[in-house]
Amino acid sequence: MEYTVGSIAPIFLAPVIAFVINAIFGRKLPRQGDWLATLSIFISFIFSARIFGDFVFGKFASDFFVHKVFTWFDLSYGTQIWKVDMGIYIDNMASIMLLMVSGVAFLIHLFSTWYMDHDEKHGRFFVFLPLFTSAMLGLVLSDNLFSMFIFWEIMGFCSYSLIGIYVKKEKAGDASLKAFMTTRVGDVFLLLGIVAIWMLLGSVAYVDIYAAIAEGKFAGHSVLGISFATFAALCIFLGGMGKSAQFPLHVWLPDAMMGPTPGSALIHAATMVTAGVWVSLRMYPLMVLGDITWFIAVIGAITAFGAATIATVQTDIKAVLAYSTLSQLGYMMIGVGVGSYNAAFMHVITHAMFKACLFLAAGSVIHTIHEQQMPKMGGLRKYLPYTHFAMMCCTLAIAGIPFFSGFVSKDRILGDALYYGFMAGQNPLLAIVPILGFAGAGLTAFYMFRMMFLTFYGENRMHHDDHGHGHGHQDSHGHESHGHDIHHEHLDARQNVPLLILSVFTLGFWFAGNLTGQNFGKVFGEKNEWFKILVEAPKVEKFINSPREEFGKTDTAADKNLPKAVYDYHSDSQTGYAGPNPDTHKIHSAHTIGAIASIIIAFSGVFLAFLMYIKGSIKPWAPKFPELTKVLQNKYGFDELYIDVIIKKGLLGFNRFLSWFDMGVYDRFAVDGWAAVNRVIFKASKWFDNVVVDAIGVDGTGVAVNLFNLVLRIVQSGKIQFYFIMLIMVLASYIWTLNI
Amino acid sequence: MMSLASYLIISLILFIVGLVVMIARKNIVAILLGIELILNAAALNFVAYSRYVTNNLDGHIFSLFIIVVAAAEAAVGLAIVIRFFQIKETIHIDEATQLRN
Repeated sequence: MEYTVGSIAPIFLAPVIAFVINAIFGRKLPRQGDWLATLSIFISFIFSARIFGDFVFGKFASDFFVHKVFTWFDLSYGTQIWKVDMGIYIDNMASIMLLMVSGVAFLIHLFSTWYMDHDEKHGRFFVFLPLFTSAMLGLVLSDNLFSMFIFWEIMGFCSYSLIGIYVKKEKAGDASLKAFMTTRVGDVFLLLGIVAIWMLLGSVAYVDIYAAIAEGKFAGHSVLGISFATFAALCIFLGGMGKSAQFPLHVWLPDAMMGPTPGSALIHAATMVTAGVWVSLRMYPLMVLGDITWFIAVIGAITAFGAATIATVQTDIKAVLAYSTLSQLGYMMIGVGVGSYNAAFMHVITHAMFKACLFLAAGSVIHTIHEQQMPKMGGLRKYLPYTHFAMMCCTLAIAGIPFFSGFVSKDRILGDALYYGFMAGQNPLLAIVPILGFAGAGLTAFYMFRMMFLTFYGENRMHHDDHGHGHGHQDSHGHESHGHDIHHEHLDARQNVPLLILSVFTLGFWFAGNLTGQNFGKVFGEKNEWFKILVEAPKVEKFINSPREEFGKTDTAADKNLPKAVYDYHSDSQTGYAGPNPDTHKIHSAHTIGAIASIIIAFSGVFLAFLMYIKGSIKPWAPKFPELTKVLQNKYGFDELYIDVIIKKGLLGFNRFLSWFDMGVYDRFAVDGWAAVNRVIFKASKWFDNVVVDAIGVDGTGVAVNLFNLVLRIVQSGKIQFYFIMLIMVLASYIWTLNI
Repeated sequence: MMSLASYLIISLILFIVGLVVMIARKNIVAILLGIELILNAAALNFVAYSRYVTNNLDGHIFSLFIIVVAAAEAAVGLAIVIRFFQIKETIHIDEATQLRN
């Protein structure tokens, strides 16, 4: 199996080409080039599928990776190495991620061609969509933090453009600015971390960082009193927090639904938010070395639980989904923090599938009835049967119902969290991680089914709820119709095929290899647990002196005599399901308890939602706790905190100080003072110019010449006889001097 | 007794008369005459030195040359004077001030 750059680069380059063509010629192309964007992503998908097939279906060993490098620039002099290499790094995790990103992005593109039809921003939307996807694919392919950061920023720009694509809506502009500025806070730290690592190691390639960790190069250095590894890991994780919308920097993600719904699907599922988790997973050895995994777990737990509580009171269907994204990202971070590496990554994949599907289904609903507020929906099941089916599958998945993908991944995370919090001998305060995690899981089941019941079940509330027209239409389709013209779902393939394909992948056995994903009740055995075997935390020791291939050379796996990936039970020791870990038994029991607990919690959440919103035997609790509801509806006041306290009081005060310094000190003393000094110098030089240069130099020369002229004028009389006399006198004086 | 000194005295007288005529007279034709006198003084000197000092014919040949040159010079000078008279309608030397400007 040969790997050349040519077989990898199209994954990234095809969408870039589509972006360039659409950006320049998009208006002239038929359908404004949406088919081109979709086709380019499909090309990426084909190439990704080939890599996925090679890596996952046993052609390569489980720890094989492709690493190709070219030197971008080289400023080395002497022994000082200042060299930046760019390259491609693909391992099992990247191959899975590539397939997921390109596949989900392709389906989103396909859906968008239906959703954005006849929209005024159709063309612009299909300029940014492929660029966004290509940036994410490039980020996954990157072999170093630096090029990863470049793609990271391109994604930030694309999300800014997609959120604010309806440029005439002020709220959309605000939301895009908010998303951009909030992620910027994280990006500053990320850049700081990258530069710090570069300073220490002279390289930011993943393999070099792994090798440095294995060789202990981080030891003995410290920054600001904390160890270097902790500093770098914390900076990089703060960057990931900004991008993945973790707790203090989460405020941008709910507002990011201002854009068109398929754009939200891309941001929330396949790209952007998973980038933060991705970099945390890539830098996992550094996080462990820096000992900040407990911090990651706590942040994840707070996000998972806090976002779930907010989601329970939201009435906008997209807001519920946005907060559920936050919550699920929190679970991924819990997974990274408690060391369940492959479950965290599996949750990235499963979440991408069902969240993309949920957003597309929500887009389908919104596009059909032109309404986003759930209290004005209801009973849509019979109008939108396919959408209902897909959304129900995804809701079952996200709620953690057995046999669905969310159960497999989330339950493994929660099982590991349970072990981490109670049995691993950690600080007892860290027990909040599993507690918040399980509570969030129950809330997830509750609010997702609340959304389902309010949207698709009960009676249709659209006809007799006509007050409150003013709000709601946050999406593009600002038709002033309130659902009076509801029609049955068209059988448009571009609308329904992506939904149905994605809902197929909400089933758990694709990922787990058995029906339940748990140790008890293995129906097909453990043989096909491909995910657990192929995705494991990088073992840093194997990267010491790892060879790297120059760009353009083919690289043959056959030369290396690699053993094939072994799909068996015992090769997995990372998450502690088996192997030499003495706590194996404890972990087993933690997972069993966790599975039972999460099934009970999920079903009770669903049951509660059923009682409240279908049967009506329990009145919704919101009126009973008005203060709590208000707090939740205000999203714990984080927006106000940031705007009123941090921005208005803190930053604006600081700005005022800076402006005072600028006007009062810098302007008055430095600028004006410099002006005064200049004026004196100018006067002096003016005097010098007038007196010395002009009067003495220029005029003086003239005067001297004039004086000399006076004599010459007398001599040159023009009288020939006078010349004769002069001639004779000169001759006479000449003869006189000869003393003859 | 004719000696070299008497020739030289005659020559000196001729030279001084010519010089005075050149400087003092305002008539261009008269100035040309003064120049002829000076040339003749020089020619007389050549012949006299040739006769009394070197005793060969070099001085005679020189004076012949001088006569030829003086004739040519007189022709050119008179031509200039005629042109000058045609332009200025006078042959007063002080009118010839074009060199000044």
